[in-house]
Amino acid sequence: MITRTDRAPLIPPSRWVGYLLAFALIVAAPLVLGTPYWRGILVVCAMNVLLALSLNLVLGYTGQLNLGQSAFFAIGAYVSVILVRSHGWNFWLAMVAASAAAGMAGLLLAAFAVRLRGHYLGIASLGFAVITYQVLVNWEGVTEGVRGIYGIMPPPPIKLPGLPEISFGNSLALFWLVGGIAFAVYWMLDNLVRSPVGETLRALREDEVSAASLGINAARWKAFAFGLASTIAGLAGCFYPGFVGTLVPDAFNIVESFTMLAMVIVGGMGSMIGPVIGAVVLTFLPELLRSAGELRLMIYGIALTLVVLFMPGGILQLVQIVRARLSRRAGAGASR
Amino acid sequence: MNDLATLLVQQSINGVYLGCLYVMVALGLTLIYGVMNQINFAHADFVTVGAFTAFFVATRFATKVLGLGDAAAYLVSIFVALGAGAVLGLLVNALVFAPLRERGDELRPLIATIGISVLLENGQLALFGPIPFQFDSPFAKETIRFGRIFFTGQSVLVVVVSMLAIGALYAFMKFTFTGKALRAVSQDRETAGLMGINPDFLIGLTIVIASAMAGMAGALIGPVLVLTPFAGATVIVKAFAIVIIGGFGNIEGTILAGILVGIIEAFTVQYLGSGLIDLVVFVLLLVMLVVRPTGLIAERREENV
Amino acid sequence: MNIRPPPRRVAVALAVAALALIGSTSHAEDKVIRVGVLMPISGPASYFGVQGKQGIELALEQVNAGAGPAGYKLQVQYEDSACSPLQATNTVKRVLEQFKPHIIIGEECSDASLAIAPILEQAKVPLLNAGSSAVKLTESGYKYVFRIFPTADQQGTLLGRNAYEKLGARTAVLLYEKTNAGVDNADTFEKVFTAAGGKVLARIDFGRDVNDFTPIATRIAGLGKVDVLPTFGLEGQTVRLAQALAQARVVRGGGGTAIQMGSIWLPWGFEQKAGPSSEGYIRVVQFDPTERRKMVTDFNAAFRAKFGAAETPTHINAHAYDSVLLVAEAVRRGATDSESLRDRFSKMQGVEVTTGRISFDAKGQTSDLSVIHFVETQKDLSWKGMAW
Repeated sequence: MITRTDRAPLIPPSRWVGYLLAFALIVAAPLVLGTPYWRGILVVCAMNVLLALSLNLVLGYTGQLNLGQSAFFAIGAYVSVILVRSHGWNFWLAMVAASAAAGMAGLLLAAFAVRLRGHYLGIASLGFAVITYQVLVNWEGVTEGVRGIYGIMPPPPIKLPGLPEISFGNSLALFWLVGGIAFAVYWMLDNLVRSPVGETLRALREDEVSAASLGINAARWKAFAFGLASTIAGLAGCFYPGFVGTLVPDAFNIVESFTMLAMVIVGGMGSMIGPVIGAVVLTFLPELLRSAGELRLMIYGIALTLVVLFMPGGILQLVQIVRARLSRRAGAGASR
Repeated sequence: MNDLATLLVQQSINGVYLGCLYVMVALGLTLIYGVMNQINFAHADFVTVGAFTAFFVATRFATKVLGLGDAAAYLVSIFVALGAGAVLGLLVNALVFAPLRERGDELRPLIATIGISVLLENGQLALFGPIPFQFDSPFAKETIRFGRIFFTGQSVLVVVVSMLAIGALYAFMKFTFTGKALRAVSQDRETAGLMGINPDFLIGLTIVIASAMAGMAGALIGPVLVLTPFAGATVIVKAFAIVIIGGFGNIEGTILAGILVGIIEAFTVQYLGSGLIDLVVFVLLLVMLVVRPTGLIAERREENV
Repeated sequence: MNIRPPPRRVAVALAVAALALIGSTSHAEDKVIRVGVLMPISGPASYFGVQGKQGIELALEQVNAGAGPAGYKLQVQYEDSACSPLQATNTVKRVLEQFKPHIIIGEECSDASLAIAPILEQAKVPLLNAGSSAVKLTESGYKYVFRIFPTADQQGTLLGRNAYEKLGARTAVLLYEKTNAGVDNADTFEKVFTAAGGKVLARIDFGRDVNDFTPIATRIAGLGKVDVLPTFGLEGQTVRLAQALAQARVVRGGGGTAIQMGSIWLPWGFEQKAGPSSEGYIRVVQFDPTERRKMVTDFNAAFRAKFGAAETPTHINAHAYDSVLLVAEAVRRGATDSESLRDRFSKMQGVEVTTGRISFDAKGQTSDLSVIHFVETQKDLSWKGMAW
């Protein structure tokens, strides 16, 4: 198997351009889409980007089928809210703790990943998500069960000396916060997958046996990937309750896991930017289709199937094809 | 019989009946997995399509157009649902599985079938609307009682039809050339190919058989379901659990696991509460995966390799 | 061949179209009350949305006929809030900025209604709710929330008291779907029933994905003598539940002694679906299509004329229909914008609609339960009104 490990160690200028562009996009997006509705969708989009990135680390880079990512999203959401409401924690501290809790749960799932492969792991992780959901529903003393938790406040305002207070009650600041975090996580993961760690994970993905012969401890690295990915999903979960104001177990139905999976696959699995594209497209597509009324979800289903059928590399592949054509044309133009 | 014994027997009967329904749903999944290592996420929606087909045949077409009696109409509807499932299988194979199989990928068909599932659910929603259809089996009206123990004619029918279907599947696998070839493909695709077996045809056939079983399962489970376009989705998660507990691709294991899950469900309702069914089933699943990852009945496939 | 029209003509056409558009909207602005409707239109909960839409469409036709209320026309935009808090928050923001509604009607599901209430409170747009029974909705101090549906408290209290006093029930087994509304109703029943001296033998909840209710019926059969079975579930599951209970000879419809009691949730037609199993079922009815009130008979007739002679409106149809009628009534009483709609609502006392008389209390909850009554299903599946 050929893996893409032959990367230049130095960050090429094109990546800096990409980062700057992404940063500019995050700053500009809520100013262009300047209404509460679109800004709200942007916040959802930023959360989905985090979720897709996290799932991609496990699925795309480490090759572990995970159908239960919604569980970690849920753990992040519930732990952060419960710590703030019932134990009076500061939100930011609760956020760290909740992400860590999701990470620990990820380690638990990793214990299964060490023993199981392929669809077995897929269904085990699905089971993990079902169990998490059921615990949220049934552990009423702590989670309020199906009655839900209401009136959840957004993250508390930040007061920096000499600057105006930043309040997250409006979705502008909230988007910049979550979008900024997504940007930072992307940066971190981007560097991670290019590092020897990334090579190790990819070696696991391609062939566990030969990876072992190279001295790679599969169990440890799977635990690492699951732990980190779940922490990120948990982090995304911390922002959900404050944004919606309401927390019910149904928000973390296992169907949500499939949506995340679809984002990764539709965007382009195993690349960094692919899942981001997938998350953006699959967040905005259903919203843009709202005017289609009752046909909305049928169109969504057809689109999902068609993308998978005709773009095996996801939307990213399409982008690459177009770029290749353009550069070829540009090249042809230059030689003429 | 004292109260406790009555209760235990009654819940066991309830469980076995439910288990048979689950087996019918899960068998198709396990067949597809066994032969081509694929998960069909739209399987549950095939069950729903089967249920709707059976409903309209049993209550409209067979009774009003063909003039059959209720019981005969329902029996006919089971076969029509089987056919509807087969047609769906043919389509999904031609449109999704076959084109993607050439690329040798396990994940994309999964996502594609999620898309198919969304499409089928919402297509049926557009056609039939969300208000539940009342699908009553004429056999459910007959309650058979032995003292305080009771079951319906429908449960007898479900058990008999399930056994017949499983028997037919076995006979096909054991005694026909195609069936033997199918098992050969499921064990080793390349060698089977070398032996002159056309794997594409066989895989297609498997999907058709599996989907036909889903359609038939729909006809059988329809009179239990709250029949809406989303009805199948209520059993699919359990069906996945059954397939795993039984050992992916293992037919005997699936049958055993299905009945076991049915019984577990009945006794969970009795002693723990129905809200905990999924919790109990999936904890069992995770325990199984740790203790016996190959399923209830050890897979022979690995011994052969 | 060039089939494109000359550019100038396109520009002119566009300009005319744009002018027409601006003209029409600015013209429409003065005499229109915009009503945003949030309903589950996709997913299993579209059960509510489909029926709600029917009621709204019918009501719109009627109130907009002729000059409309006080010369105003009611204009509606539907949004699919999918019974989910996230979708509801997103769609309510969407409808607020794209449609600028004067009032919002919806959601059915308590979770979603509770999620949008604070947003509408902040936007100062009234919410008229007709299907969520969670108590919190009108007990959280919102000034812009109005509800024409009895809360879980109101329903559960009636059921609990009548079970004990009128039916002489002393033991009960609670059956309820595991949702916000189901739990709320069951809790209230238990509180009232046990306070009166009754005993709850078991609380049996079920998710919306439970299909076969025989194990539950078997369990109840093994609990000894049960007098009443208060049941809080939607039509589909309740039908299956009633059939299973009859098979297990628990309820009267199956030759047992227990009486199943139900909430307003069950639609007209439930008995026909459940068949003989439903004999003896006693339930609360708010909208009763057999009622002889002119309001109701007119509604029935109009509904049949529009949707088919064989159709009988359900309470969900009726609630949505009533919601529009109430908006029209507020407009007739001089409301022209959100603030005045809220004001007229808060002063409404005894306004007649198909589901009864609406009198909003200080919290925005309808307090007039005069038309709410109990019916018992007879052997021929017809209703007998109880003189409770």
